[in-house]
Amino acid sequence: MENQDKKTMTLNLTQAEMRALEELSALKDLSKTAVLRQALRLYQMIDQRARRGEKIYFENDAKDKAELMLI
Amino acid sequence: MEASEVYLLRVVDGQMVRAELFDDLSEQHITLWQRTWLPAMQEAIPRLVAAKVPQADWPQDLLWDWRKKTNWASSLLGMRSFCIVCAGNLEGMMMANLIKTCRLEEQRHKELVYVEFVSTAPWNRAKLLVKPRFHGIGKVFVRVAIELSMHEGFEGRIGLHSLPQANEFYRSRCQMSELAPDPKKEGLVYFEMTPEQATRFLEDN
Repeated sequence: MENQDKKTMTLNLTQAEMRALEELSALKDLSKTAVLRQALRLYQMIDQRARRGEKIYFENDAKDKAELMLI
Repeated sequence: MEASEVYLLRVVDGQMVRAELFDDLSEQHITLWQRTWLPAMQEAIPRLVAAKVPQADWPQDLLWDWRKKTNWASSLLGMRSFCIVCAGNLEGMMMANLIKTCRLEEQRHKELVYVEFVSTAPWNRAKLLVKPRFHGIGKVFVRVAIELSMHEGFEGRIGLHSLPQANEFYRSRCQMSELAPDPKKEGLVYFEMTPEQATRFLEDN
């Protein structure tokens, strides 16, 4: 399954960034590498849709919508 | 692109036949879809009309455009495509999304492999032919989705919206958890598999 060549990189994170990564890793039951892969997949997809002029919204239970502004 | 070995049940003699599972959809596969599936689908429509099959019961993926879907998915890191080829014939295709999360309360917000599209060749459909060529394409793809989920660290969790004609397959044969019909997905029933259900599926199939 997806036996592509993998590249290695060193990632320098601040304490706060590492803490957030560790929290997500624990919350999602994923390795830190898997969390970063998911983040990249999601970011790429959002960026592609935003570039096409689409808007991204968050909606709560009360159906209030908030637009995610990408700058 | 990698190919691995899978087996399909040939209906005519009950033999298990070796096929190749590809972990991508190439131009060659899409050309095969265009050359072989589309004419067979077009031929099936008059038969469905003559048999007075209500349009709601027609295979709803008849008109899916796999070229468009592949063009859309190929640039996205979060999408994976698969197909099964046997003796040079395209027998099934599947597209899975890796950036969706679970809906079942017990695993809510955890990552899963969401099966966006899955389709089997027209000659493998009992609805279109008296005797389909192969059985087991759906099960192979469920296994592939589970294995992809495990490979990604999602522990076998998968989810999908089922077309009406496939509800029984996911409910009974795959033993997936059934959630309410989804009004945001044309009322299609949503099914989800937990890690325990995935392990059981792999053991039993």
